[in-house]
Amino acid sequence: MDGQGQMSSSYQRFPTVKIREMKDDYMKFELKNTDPSIANALRRVMIGEVPTIAIDLVEIESNSSVLNDEFLAHRLGLIPLISERAMDMRFSRDCDTCDGDAQCHYCSVEFKLNVKCDGDQTLDVTSLDLVSSDMRENPVVAVDRAADMNVFDASEQRGIIIVKLRRGQELRLRAIARKGIGKDHAKWSPAATVTFMYEPDIHINENLMETLTLDEKREWIESCPTKVFDIHPDTQQVFVVDAEAYSYDDEVIKKAEAMGKPGLVSINAKDDSFIFTIESTGALKASQMLLNAIDILKQKLETVRLSPETEEDDAQFIDLEQHMRGGGGR
Amino acid sequence: MNAPDRYEKFVVPEGTKKVSYERDMKIMNAATFVIEREDHTIGNIVRMQLHRDPNVLFAGYKLPHPLQYKILLRIQTTSQSSPMQAYNLAIDDLDKELDHLKRSFEDEMVRLQSENREGL
Ligand SMILES: [Zn+2]
Repeated sequence: MDGQGQMSSSYQRFPTVKIREMKDDYMKFELKNTDPSIANALRRVMIGEVPTIAIDLVEIESNSSVLNDEFLAHRLGLIPLISERAMDMRFSRDCDTCDGDAQCHYCSVEFKLNVKCDGDQTLDVTSLDLVSSDMRENPVVAVDRAADMNVFDASEQRGIIIVKLRRGQELRLRAIARKGIGKDHAKWSPAATVTFMYEPDIHINENLMETLTLDEKREWIESCPTKVFDIHPDTQQVFVVDAEAYSYDDEVIKKAEAMGKPGLVSINAKDDSFIFTIESTGALKASQMLLNAIDILKQKLETVRLSPETEEDDAQFIDLEQHMRGGGGR
Repeated sequence: MNAPDRYEKFVVPEGTKKVSYERDMKIMNAATFVIEREDHTIGNIVRMQLHRDPNVLFAGYKLPHPLQYKILLRIQTTSQSSPMQAYNLAIDDLDKELDHLKRSFEDEMVRLQSENREGL
């Protein structure tokens, strides 16, 4: 109608991924052929918008420990819970089943904790004392570090210490865990750290480098705070051992200038190639954090699409404008 | 005591439009999109995607204030396109890019797993 028929045009990119290392709570991978904005959006979403489950309501029945109730409630909130099901759960605030009271299994999981110290020894109350009411498959429970680490003695308690009790003290409470995101409170963030770096592109000016004596080469290499360069033992040529060790500190560039050899090396950050590091709290697997982040970002894009009404309003506006100008079509 | 609810930063209030659109009355093919409850995450990827479109003459976003949970996205295009068309295209392209990213990540996981199996 408007003569703007190039519906087939697209300026899409086709990113590629190469995983270097993958463990349950750690992952390192290369992301190529995309833009820093996408890399940063993924990082931001993993930290702030991938949902997990965390304790949000605590009802204390009895607390004779040395920590006060709100201190304990805060500590309970920070315990990572296995959140594989978080993506399928509802936020309490839009749960119709329980009207946001966090009383139903669609939006919440109940935990009970009941510990009393009867002996003379100090008793550790840990995350492993939290008893989940979740009876389904892949239950929401506290992260058990003993299970995924090769602990010598399996009986060794590896839970997260909540409080220590002495003889006669007890702690009895009910806690409700809910789905949430890091943007709301950091306790819901699945990320310990998520970072990316730009892949450096390092070029040594070989001709200029050969004008340096061996001692000068050594001195120049030493000026780099991280071990990026080395000297070949046979040829005595300077070469790049580990480009990614470079921290964009410019020290070697300044050193080259100070030695009267500007342009000895040129270092540029490639702006379409990134090295990501993801560390998880244990609530989600590192790989799942990335997959969920992609889904969340897609959902966000879906919500910012123009509504048909908005598009219609504008179409009418264009018609009116053309009518006023007395013209038909551009 | 009178602190605003934390969810105010990501829940669109009832009766408010997620995206509203205002055409520039002085410049042809220019408009401002107001996107409620979004930040740099969406603002920056949409802006950068718009820059790939040769019909886009200008695309920029701003987060007016850290306590106003919205972004303003301004687009000007050539007469071959329109701000709305460019906006829709940018979102479509980003969506496809993320589909592609997901596929390549899943393929990579499969490759890594089969490699590990062989290594045993
Ligand atoms: Zn509910």
